[in-house]
Amino acid sequence: MFKKSMWYSILVIAFVGFVILANGFYQAILVTTQANPQPTSESAPLESTTDLTPSSKNPNTIQMLILGDSVAKGTGDEKSKGFSGYLSEYLKNNTSKEIIADNVGIDGLESTGLLEQLQSRRLEQQLTHTDIVLVSIGGNDIRSILTLNSFDKENEFKVRLDRYLSNLKLTFQELRKSNPNSTIIFLGLYNPYEKVTNLEDSQLLNSWNFNTQQLVETDGKAIFIPTYDLFKYNTGRFIAQDGLHPNSAGYQAISNRISRSLEMIIAGL
Amino acid sequence: MFSLIENEVIKMISKKRLLFVIAILVALISVFAYGQHHASERIKTQLSQRMGISATTDWHKIADQQLIELKNRLDSPYRDEKDKSALRVRIEQLQYNLDNDINPLEQSAAKFTTKFMEQSIFLFLPLLIIMLASDMVSGESSSGTIKLLLVRNVPRWKVLLSKFLTLIMLEIIVLFFAFVLSEIISGLFFGFGGWNAPVATGFKLVAGKLDTSSVLNVPQWRYTLMVYSLAFFVSFVVGSISFMISVLVRSTAASIGIIMSTLVAGNFISYFLSDWKITRYMFMVNLRLTDYLSGSFQPIEGMTLLFSILVLLGWASASIIISFVYFTKKDILV
Repeated sequence: MFKKSMWYSILVIAFVGFVILANGFYQAILVTTQANPQPTSESAPLESTTDLTPSSKNPNTIQMLILGDSVAKGTGDEKSKGFSGYLSEYLKNNTSKEIIADNVGIDGLESTGLLEQLQSRRLEQQLTHTDIVLVSIGGNDIRSILTLNSFDKENEFKVRLDRYLSNLKLTFQELRKSNPNSTIIFLGLYNPYEKVTNLEDSQLLNSWNFNTQQLVETDGKAIFIPTYDLFKYNTGRFIAQDGLHPNSAGYQAISNRISRSLEMIIAGL
Repeated sequence: MFSLIENEVIKMISKKRLLFVIAILVALISVFAYGQHHASERIKTQLSQRMGISATTDWHKIADQQLIELKNRLDSPYRDEKDKSALRVRIEQLQYNLDNDINPLEQSAAKFTTKFMEQSIFLFLPLLIIMLASDMVSGESSSGTIKLLLVRNVPRWKVLLSKFLTLIMLEIIVLFFAFVLSEIISGLFFGFGGWNAPVATGFKLVAGKLDTSSVLNVPQWRYTLMVYSLAFFVSFVVGSISFMISVLVRSTAASIGIIMSTLVAGNFISYFLSDWKITRYMFMVNLRLTDYLSGSFQPIEGMTLLFSILVLLGWASASIIISFVYFTKKDILV
């Protein structure tokens, strides 16, 4: 009797299960093969490239173009200004000239993306008229290797560094092609995970920064601004709640540092 | 026919093998659920250590910030159109978490149930099926009871068919128990819920690269249904193959050994022979069907869900044909 009822329940479960599973199987095939049913028409390409840029070079204005990743963009700043905001504020107060800052930073951008962005020539107009180019890139290139084990890390680091340096070289070429006279300011990388980083990782980051600096120096009209030392014992003060980006105070510190290096250049413009 | 199947099912029940499978499921699921619980606690403390704040209680702020960032990214005119649907999917998920007050770091029974099947589809589930399937015919041969079966006034193919249908029924029962048990046991740890949370799926392979342009969110219950359906298909295929071996080989031990070693070898064969194209036609390499749903597969040109299903279907039908032809033709000398 027990076996009989067992047999019936098995039969029912099996039958119902089969119908449900067959249905799910059909859906699984559908979802991986069919085209996306989501309408994507709402996103018309927004061509709103700021036409504020004056066509001829004005001696009374200083134009800045900020390129690169989330640090360039100012992600993490509670006041959402970023170092470009603080820097232009500072310059406004300290020079008689007008400051125009154009920020085209993109969160999560890697060196490959920056190169593509420049090669696509969409920034051509801004680039040719700019006096100062601020670049922050590389943080996203190096960040993902942190989770690897120490053996893979070493190898992967070399691969990434090589790719990054060659991208960077081409990026500089692109920049110089459009504008040979501007001053390029390159931000070094800081370590947001200072508290939990071992010596080996710090050394990798330093060698990354060192190689970057060497390459930046070859340009002749570019400066490398280190940020590693600035953040080393200040992660508590300068890092935003997301644990990765600088906060308002952090961006101000970066901006202060850049403005010191820029003082004479600005005076000469 | 119907009574033949009933007979087979009752035989399986009284052999206690099904009970054994269920016991294994209970034990393993409990261990995994406990482990997951433990790991998620550890991740939480690690995160709050790293960020200096309690990430677990303050996740709203972080998620809010992430959401704003993602939206900015979406609006950026310098963004590739390709990446946008992936971003949209991320935004939808975060928005859902915020709206429903679900910490994305928390586990849920629904997530665990799905994850469990995703992880067991290529080895653990097949092993359970093998336990059931391998002695269906060879067990009768080695104990000699096959004589009693065949002297009855029933054609041989009907005997085999009833065994095969029983196997399919048991596969569904195993999946049913895997689902119910992992839902109940993990529910005790993580709470029963999360069936409506959005899950990203719909990844495609375009020109050898993972294409995220057609990614969309489906509710968790639908995703789980798809995962378990694919798991059923896998157990059907593995069941058919081990059924064939069980017909061909007379000793149950040999039959289990053969299919198990093939299966285990298949899990690293693609590692050693990755540039040898023929490996992709082996059934063991194609068992990870759910990876196509979650988009976590190594993009290999030409490997899609449909391809894998067709290859598996080929293996299954070949095994079924071989078993039936062999069983109806062979001489039984016991």
